[in-house]
Amino acid sequence: MALNEMKFEFKAENPKSINKGWSHFGVVGSGDMEILMEKMDLNGSVQVKIVTPVTGFDNVWGMVMEKFIRSSNLGDVYIEINDNNATPVVVSMRLRQALADANKQEEEVDEDA
Amino acid sequence: MLKWDELQKANFTDSNARARAYGLVDKGTFTEFVSPKDKLSSPHLPVLGEAIEFDDGIVTGVGLIGKRPIFVVSQEGKFIGGAVGEVGGAKMVKTIKLALRAYEDVKKEHPDSYEDRLPAVVISFETGGVRLHEANAGLLAHAEVMDQIQDARGKIPVITIIGSKVGCFGGMGFVAAATDVVIMSENGRLGLTGPEVIEQEIGKDEFDAGDKALVFRTTGGKHKYIMQDCNFLVADKIGAFKTQLDEVMKIPFNEIEGYRRIGSLKLVEEQLELVKKAVEIAPKDSKDMWKYFGNENPESLTNMSYDEFMKSVKRRERICK
Repeated sequence: MALNEMKFEFKAENPKSINKGWSHFGVVGSGDMEILMEKMDLNGSVQVKIVTPVTGFDNVWGMVMEKFIRSSNLGDVYIEINDNNATPVVVSMRLRQALADANKQEEEVDEDA
Repeated sequence: MLKWDELQKANFTDSNARARAYGLVDKGTFTEFVSPKDKLSSPHLPVLGEAIEFDDGIVTGVGLIGKRPIFVVSQEGKFIGGAVGEVGGAKMVKTIKLALRAYEDVKKEHPDSYEDRLPAVVISFETGGVRLHEANAGLLAHAEVMDQIQDARGKIPVITIIGSKVGCFGGMGFVAAATDVVIMSENGRLGLTGPEVIEQEIGKDEFDAGDKALVFRTTGGKHKYIMQDCNFLVADKIGAFKTQLDEVMKIPFNEIEGYRRIGSLKLVEEQLELVKKAVEIAPKDSKDMWKYFGNENPESLTNMSYDEFMKSVKRRERICK
């Protein structure tokens, strides 16, 4: 019954961290998820923790995350995801949106209400 | 998230709880309490195999409107229907408690001009009430929020905002009714027992929850505005709610009590008058009541745009005010 917890670690080539110290995106609605990204010194790699009620799809999660991290050259970021049955397509889209949000310039952040 | 100026133009219904909280106060003034980074999620849900959220479905924080600190609670209806559990409930309670402490501080520091800096609590409801997964803890949270609202009475205004289709039902319907001022949009819904529950318990003949027009003319913002269950009706924009809040902040505090719908012997008498009237008129539909209160063509009200509606609507006359 308990929630399924997964942990992954990936290292991209020429890794680049996010602009903000930390960034949060999304709502854990039905078929949706939230993403918390924290800048962290991880020797260029990305650590991911996923918490979801879904079981049996750990490999798919691993593939989606690896593809996202390699294609965005993300590094030195700790990612935590709370999921509620999001499909791989939604996961990929939310990850890209979260990254765009995390890479806004700090000045922009100040202007943000 | 969108920038503040863009948030003002955004639909309230489509925005998430955090965007609403940022947009309801002055530009750049919102500070969140117990943000997602603090990862304070429900301890009960993982045991049941239910998804968790870092903010437990409630965004809390403080911002400003002019010089006045505004303590904001904003519920997220997408996360388990906005149901209130232990952690989210505690966040609500503590936010109102902080507002009361701010009231004491402001009074001490500005004894002559504290009304200009008087704190206020704004609660954006989007919930069906108790999170049943957390049973007693959820119920207790409701009781404690109610307790804080009673403590705040006569000290600081507590303002309700309802602008989403999830609306405000169940235990939180009671809580919203106990606040000083209610602001709704046409999309907002307010009630105690939700339409689906009535249908399930008593049957489709009593209430057809699938009939959206019926649901909205019984629980929706327009009906609540005509019946005086809500004080102000605004357009479905975060900015429209913000503008109305600015206006409410200009009301002298000793007049705020006059906006209440329940909470004194006089108000109970006013409500009882309404019950008597309902027996006398024996309405078959909310439209019968609209007609009784002077709307010659009640049918036309349901499809009117916000501006047209506000121009032509006739409301129930308040006895107390």
